[in-house]
Amino acid sequence: MTVITDALCPFCGCLCDDISVVVEDNKIVDVKNACKIGASKIRGHHRIKSPMIRDDKNSDFKEVSYDEAIDKAAQILAGSKRALLYGWASALCEAHKKGILLAEELGAVIDNTATVCHAPSALAIHEKGVPTATLGQIKNRADVVIFWGCNPVHSHPRHMGRYSVFPRGFFSGKGRRGRKIIVVDVRKTNTAGIADEYVEIQQGSDYLIISALRAILSGHEDVVPESVGGVARKDLLRIAAILKEAKFGTLFFGMGLTQSKSRYKNIDNAISLVTELNSFNKFIMMPMRGHYNVTGFGQVCTWETGFATAVDFSSGAPYYNPGETAANDLLYRKEVDAAMIIAGDAGAHFPANSVRELAKIPVVQVDPYWNPTTEVANVVIPSAISGVELEGTAYRMDGVSLRMRKMIEPEHLADEEILDRLIARVREIRGE
Amino acid sequence: MELLIKNAAVYDPVNGIKGDRTDVSIKDGKIVDKVSSGCTGIDAGGRLVMAGGVDAHSHIAGSKVNVGRLMRPEDSRAGIKPRTKTTRPCTGYTVPNVYAMGYRYANMGYTTVFEAAQAIMKARHTHEELEEIPIIDKGALTLFGSNWPTMDFVRENDMDKLAAYVSWGLLASRGFGIKVVNPGGGEMWGFGKNVTGLDDVVPEFEVTPSQIITSLMKVNEMLGLPHSVHLHCNNLGKPGNYTTTLESMKLAKQVKAGKDRQVMHVTHLTFNAWGGTNWGDFESRADEIAKYLNNNDNVTTDMGQLIFGNATTMTADGPVQYANAKLLHAKWGNGDVELEDSSGVVPITYVKQISIHAIMWAIGLELALLTDDPYKVLLTTDHPNGGPFVNYPEVIALLMSNRKRQEEIATLHKAVHSQTKIPGIDRELDFNDIAIMTRAGTSKVLGLLEHGKGHLGIGADADISIYDIKPDEIDPSAEHSKIKSAFSSAAYTIKGGEIVARDGEITATPAGRTFWVDAKVPQSHTDEMMKDIRAKFKNYYSINLANYMVQDAYVTHQNVIKAGVGTAASEVD
Amino acid sequence: MQEVLLKPGMEIRISVEAENISPDKFSNKTAEEIKSIGIRMGNHKTTVGELFSVKVNGSGTPEDTKIVMEGDFSRIKRIGEGMTAGTILIKGNVDMHVGARMVGGRITVTGNADSWAGREMKGGELVIEGNAGYYLGAGYRGEACGMRGGKITVMGNALDFVGEHMCGGEIIIKGNAGILPGISNNGGKIVIGGNTARPGSEMTKGTIIVNGSVDEMMPVFKPEGAEDVDGVSYMKYTGDVILNGKGVLYVRE
Ligand code: SF4
Ligand SMILES: [Zn+2]
Repeated sequence: MTVITDALCPFCGCLCDDISVVVEDNKIVDVKNACKIGASKIRGHHRIKSPMIRDDKNSDFKEVSYDEAIDKAAQILAGSKRALLYGWASALCEAHKKGILLAEELGAVIDNTATVCHAPSALAIHEKGVPTATLGQIKNRADVVIFWGCNPVHSHPRHMGRYSVFPRGFFSGKGRRGRKIIVVDVRKTNTAGIADEYVEIQQGSDYLIISALRAILSGHEDVVPESVGGVARKDLLRIAAILKEAKFGTLFFGMGLTQSKSRYKNIDNAISLVTELNSFNKFIMMPMRGHYNVTGFGQVCTWETGFATAVDFSSGAPYYNPGETAANDLLYRKEVDAAMIIAGDAGAHFPANSVRELAKIPVVQVDPYWNPTTEVANVVIPSAISGVELEGTAYRMDGVSLRMRKMIEPEHLADEEILDRLIARVREIRGE
Repeated sequence: MELLIKNAAVYDPVNGIKGDRTDVSIKDGKIVDKVSSGCTGIDAGGRLVMAGGVDAHSHIAGSKVNVGRLMRPEDSRAGIKPRTKTTRPCTGYTVPNVYAMGYRYANMGYTTVFEAAQAIMKARHTHEELEEIPIIDKGALTLFGSNWPTMDFVRENDMDKLAAYVSWGLLASRGFGIKVVNPGGGEMWGFGKNVTGLDDVVPEFEVTPSQIITSLMKVNEMLGLPHSVHLHCNNLGKPGNYTTTLESMKLAKQVKAGKDRQVMHVTHLTFNAWGGTNWGDFESRADEIAKYLNNNDNVTTDMGQLIFGNATTMTADGPVQYANAKLLHAKWGNGDVELEDSSGVVPITYVKQISIHAIMWAIGLELALLTDDPYKVLLTTDHPNGGPFVNYPEVIALLMSNRKRQEEIATLHKAVHSQTKIPGIDRELDFNDIAIMTRAGTSKVLGLLEHGKGHLGIGADADISIYDIKPDEIDPSAEHSKIKSAFSSAAYTIKGGEIVARDGEITATPAGRTFWVDAKVPQSHTDEMMKDIRAKFKNYYSINLANYMVQDAYVTHQNVIKAGVGTAASEVD
Repeated sequence: MQEVLLKPGMEIRISVEAENISPDKFSNKTAEEIKSIGIRMGNHKTTVGELFSVKVNGSGTPEDTKIVMEGDFSRIKRIGEGMTAGTILIKGNVDMHVGARMVGGRITVTGNADSWAGREMKGGELVIEGNAGYYLGAGYRGEACGMRGGKITVMGNALDFVGEHMCGGEIIIKGNAGILPGISNNGGKIVIGGNTARPGSEMTKGTIIVNGSVDEMMPVFKPEGAEDVDGVSYMKYTGDVILNGKGVLYVRE
């Protein structure tokens, strides 16, 4: 029996790094400190046992060797004019680098799961910048914390305990009692249940409310009508006053903000709100990133290509324009002629139209788990679980990079090795 | 592997060679006395040969550089170059991708570049990017000026603990030296505040910037680090800040250098040699700084030269960046790091007809031209704050040609005449001066001469640049455009004995090495210090101590320089 | 005078990067020369001749060159990008970025144009007789300025973010416009014949005229009473007040 301490949880963007796992005979028999979803993720489930292929998506898979599956995958990708390499959220940064190289070799488009959650935040950052801080700043200093369109009680169970609501820090010795918690949402979530202020807004009116707050803070409350987006003017005035008086305020936001009406312009507007609040005191913001390393892909892709995601390599140089080059843009336009879905589940999270399109084209899946993407795949390549069976780099939601620990020995190939072998095979096929 | 460069017009200030025709022999990546006859040769044909360029201050990797890229896709789409058989695709102008960083430096004949700021907690990210930058050798300076442990030990006046912390922090971050940015201000920016001078007291920590700077200089010398304290002064970006800069420089007198170098390097003077009291009477006081440098030997500086056009300002000085963003109505990136420092990123365009920008353009040049000894003013643009590093050839041409300067001045806002001295300065630097400001001097200031950088003596690294200039035939003053184009794309860049670039094309992309400093202190000091550190992790950090330090996996080609209390400096590859 | 006629030679599914279809690139060229001009489909390098039939009548400078395109071009991007002169008449639909960065000349699309039509346009005229997609006359990601000059007319409707970051020029939409038209307008003029929502957010300069109804007025405008524009009475607003904006928004009473 061995105990691995200070391990990292490969589930949500909190990337908790205080997990202990007990290992016996290369099996995880106990997980300590993690929340329920984290612990169940670490223990694993529904693994794909062997590489598999099939030509006809209506027929059953045939189990094959890694070599055969990788060869088949390489044939599909090397022959494509508009391949899509999508996923990456549950892969390590070391794999991201290889994925970008593969996209380059193929002249493909590479995109990650942010496209269905927080990619709009990147679009907003292009417009206004990104006033943020590490989570420890919040733990040590924050006296006002807003959760806007997110529900950490559900999605990031230890977030409030470790970073944002309950912890005591250097300047925040009172912990929860010293913090005002504001929840803005369209329905009373569990998180709203613990808030000091719950602001219920009409679906899709986030943008208007942010602008109204900005107008009030800039001294123009006279132009704000009696009610905006279902919130009374007097409530907006009260909230604005709280924000203004915060010594260190933080705005956490989720898909309720990024995916509602006005989309990334909501974030764009929120960045301005936060920036303007710094005229009074300190205020920062942070997206509640879902998958534990969705942030990492954005980091790697940005330093490798200059762009955060949705990079089209078809000209040999990176081209970036979400709305044109993101996975669902291309699937919607029925342009994609081959896809590799790796470490992310397009089958489960894409709009129905996109999944239908995937069902029509050759699809390679690289993943530890059997999931809805498997149903539309022609080639399935099982991989080791990053952060459980492999060590390597991941980025927490605040952009702090951490090294994931290996807990048990893998029985399957690492993403990195699969990609290495794919790249080599593609080069052979293309005669390079 | 042997290589012989024949008929080289060598400028090697460290070894006193000023344009003499000689041969340079290379074996196994080092400069040697001679090579076997019949080995591969390059006929330099009397062209200019220097050691590979060394950049002592540039922002090339890490969290804030990547924030710059993320904020600026419009910059990334500038400078796009598709992949070739040898190279990966390039993007960006002010914030290039990792590949463009390596290729563009190599094409200019630069082979060693130091990233100027990393917070320990984010050092892993810095090294991930450094690992991906091809060709050049590199290193990163670690921020210590607002770290809570630093301030605690300064307050307790416990230099042993502070030295132990610096030693441990360098190991944790695989850092090369001590960077201090707006000391104390980084902590205060945590609540949106700032210090206003060297003697302000940082609340809760009860220390002053002046105490922080002095203490860090002391432990820097106790530890015998190769480089000195590298200081970004308080009050940067505020008119009249030259007085703070001079007061900071005077602090250097309290400390004696443990090595043959400065005890304080004050960086990017373009941003902190400012006179006046507001934007209306804003003026250059580079002359005052130069006067100080001419009378004192323990301080060095770099230009941080402004380049007209697009730039991206990025610094650990969080408050100055918020002020910039507000002033310019620009996008604002902010990235505070718990217990350590702050940072900010703001795009800017420098315009010839804006008086402030014209004056700032003059400051870097004035400083370089009014300071007698070129070892005291290094050539930088504080990439990408003053402008992108690809403009170094422009700066070289400006320094070598008064004619070019006068041509430029004629296109600038008239304030350049009334608020600066540049129009009346006719000094023109020569190739030896340039070799100092870009090689010998930068290497000496970093403490890398003895580690084979910045010169061409026997045993030095075979990092060499050959430029398409015949020093005895060219008149740099008149032919400044030739100077600029020759320095822009080296005829040859040789890195570790291998030809990596020819006439602007990358020919090979070996991995460069990462320099970091392993400074030993007595174990008992470390043990004492770690008690405090463990408490900090238990109570305040948001990660565990066990996950804090940069692992070996992130420095795969390391060059560890040994230092420490009572240890003779030595090097291990 | 040179007239060039292009027709698709096959059904095109994967988008084609066709910035080379422009009077500047076609002028004074024979049909054979035009056929050999490079063009890209996905990651595949091809030529104009591989994808289109090409007929040329006469020859001339860019000013004197007219390109007529007949058929479905809904997967052909960047037609007329950066063009300085001449005319392009597209009888059918076009893909994204038609007339992007154009400086002069005239493009007419008889069908619909996809997103980013007239992106970063500096001059010339773009007429879309059908509907326009998102980001009509807008900018590129992160850039401070979208359209700077010239004129865009859309006879049908346009989707969201019309004239985003506009710094100059004029956009006229006869039908409806999607959400947030004229966002961050820094000096352009937008006239919307039909309805829209949330116009003029973050505008600092320029004018937006809405002749239909506004669904969700941004709470950032100062009402300035009624005012006549060309004989029509509007409610006048100025803003965005948050930015001390001098933009003017007219909404039909
Ligand atoms: S909060 Fe997230 S990272 Fe932490 S243990 Fe739970 S799932 Fe894992
Ligand atoms: Zn700097």
